[in-house]
Amino acid sequence: MGDIMEMLASALRMTIPVLITALGAIYSERSGVTNIGLEGMMMTGAFWGAYGALHYGPVGGFLLAIAMGMLVALIHAVVTVTYRVDQIVSGVAINILAYGLARFFSIALFGMATTSPSVNGLPKIDIPILKNISVLKPIATDISPIIILGILLVFVTYWVLEKTVFGLRLKAVGENPLAADTLGVKVIPYRYLGVIISGAFAGLAGAYLSIEHTHMYVEGMTQGKGFIALAAMIFGNWMPYGSFWASFLFGFAEAISMRVVQSKVVPYQFIKMIPYVLTLLVLAGVVRKAQPPASVGIPYSREGD
Amino acid sequence: MNKRFKIILLQLLTPIVAILFAIALSSVLIVAIGKNPIEVYQTMIEFSLGSADSVGEILFNATPLIFSGLAVALSFKMGLFNIGVEGQYFIGAFFAAFVGFTLSGIPAFIHLPLAILAAMLGGVLWAFVPIYLKVRRGVHEVISTIMLNYIAYSLIHYFIADLFMDRNQKVPEGLGSPLIRTPHFAETALMPKLHGFLSFFGIDLPNSVYLNWFFVIGLLLTVGMYYLLWHTPFGYEIRAVGSNPKASEAAGINPNKVYFKGFLLSGAIAGLIGLSHLLSFYGYMDLDFPKNFGFNGIAVALMGNNNPFGIVLAALLFGFLNRGAEGVQTFMGVPMETIVIMQGIIILSVVVAANILGRYIKRLEKKEA
Repeated sequence: MGDIMEMLASALRMTIPVLITALGAIYSERSGVTNIGLEGMMMTGAFWGAYGALHYGPVGGFLLAIAMGMLVALIHAVVTVTYRVDQIVSGVAINILAYGLARFFSIALFGMATTSPSVNGLPKIDIPILKNISVLKPIATDISPIIILGILLVFVTYWVLEKTVFGLRLKAVGENPLAADTLGVKVIPYRYLGVIISGAFAGLAGAYLSIEHTHMYVEGMTQGKGFIALAAMIFGNWMPYGSFWASFLFGFAEAISMRVVQSKVVPYQFIKMIPYVLTLLVLAGVVRKAQPPASVGIPYSREGD
Repeated sequence: MNKRFKIILLQLLTPIVAILFAIALSSVLIVAIGKNPIEVYQTMIEFSLGSADSVGEILFNATPLIFSGLAVALSFKMGLFNIGVEGQYFIGAFFAAFVGFTLSGIPAFIHLPLAILAAMLGGVLWAFVPIYLKVRRGVHEVISTIMLNYIAYSLIHYFIADLFMDRNQKVPEGLGSPLIRTPHFAETALMPKLHGFLSFFGIDLPNSVYLNWFFVIGLLLTVGMYYLLWHTPFGYEIRAVGSNPKASEAAGINPNKVYFKGFLLSGAIAGLIGLSHLLSFYGYMDLDFPKNFGFNGIAVALMGNNNPFGIVLAALLFGFLNRGAEGVQTFMGVPMETIVIMQGIIILSVVVAANILGRYIKRLEKKEA
């Protein structure tokens, strides 16, 4: 039992960065903007998180990471929403740009291309009540506050999308921008906000990796998690709860993969493929039908050109 | 007539403006780390273009990007986005590697073409899944190809590290561990360098340059692609479907058929991307086999405005930038990554400039009408 709980605890740690990024992606996609630049935004967050934590403490690190994630997202928003450039092209360019910038600033600020000095994380916390149940101890004690925050964000995102005016308008803009526009909802600002929120989430998730997970920035530490987050969001059918379970499934697979390396029953490379294969199956309608927002990926302009 | 000329001029200006914009922004970074941008760019040009072997290096750098740009552009022309070029070239490279290290004792004129065909087959195979899903299941090709890129990475990792790792390497006692790589390919699977051919013209390249015949194949393919797109019925179908699938369907073209054939062809070309490195520079496939050629191909295709000849120019520019980056890093201590940043900025400014230009041209045409 103890082993299983340890395993769950490690799965939870793997889940959080994917989950937070996936939740952010929901805002962007539901507003109608595909964001495959998430990987770059996470990378940016991981780098500036470490830099900020080094100079201003962990909280400063997270704030800087969020701000930088938003800044990168702003570029994506300007290019895709205002200039209506193909969202995929912009996303690819942003990933390239973010990679170059992270390496450049790593050399300029840390004197090393691939790692930062080690940084302190946030103080670890215990969850009251749960920590007293001995079985739950591994997942209820000594955990990062960001894990709690990530789980809270699932509910917050659900509430924002389903219960607030902002959420309803955001979704309307992604489903049918022309109709929304006709009803007086300003399409452009909502899409900007959707993209920028996704950048903030991805920045936070990246900073979790560097500040909380490894206590330093390591080049390539996002390891395609931005794309896994995209997969989790699709697997979760563009919904917060769905994305949570998908992220958890993928986090679990990652936690297993690290153990499988030693046991060699299944090559761990195959376990790494799980998120991608599952997402393909969902998209192909083998597992169940995917329902993306109707206007995602399509630039909007009043003139219709 | 005057308007037509104006439009062409503007289209030529778009990439130039984008490059200038990227140079300006990169200069800010260079100044920020306390270096003189003018000096940096000067060093870059002198180092890159100053000697025959450096130019040879640029052409070698450009080779995979020509294939990659053509593969991306072909799918672009149909209105599809093949972001899976990355995975397709990885699988293609492994197929070629497999032919390279399993077969031996056959003449080069059979072995090498066989390796090339295997690479194309690998690319086609990896392009088949997303286009099948697109046509039959309506799965957006961008998402499926992203997933397939990662599946390809993992699969190749498994092939190299577990299934086909060379376990007969002779590692001197106490000197490290064996490399994680496939066995060496037979000599007969390797692509000859261009050196002998060039020496006829009095150009002597040192052995450290790996410029090989794949560069020439890339140029031939460029001409072939131009011919295909603008002088064959299939090329016409591709362009028709790309500009308006519904209208082309009304005109009797079956878009799904065109998508299928075009996408598989794109995959076949993608399969060739890694070969210039694999069958010449490396001679085996290891875990460090260069990544990202597929993604950079998107930049090259955009820069080249999806025109085959434009793509060659763009690939040469990127080859030049990469070479120059090595120079400024060595001689001026400016991180090579400045060039990666520049590439990212170039893509973004090219697409934005093209969009602004597109609107302007439309307005120009409206005014006339």
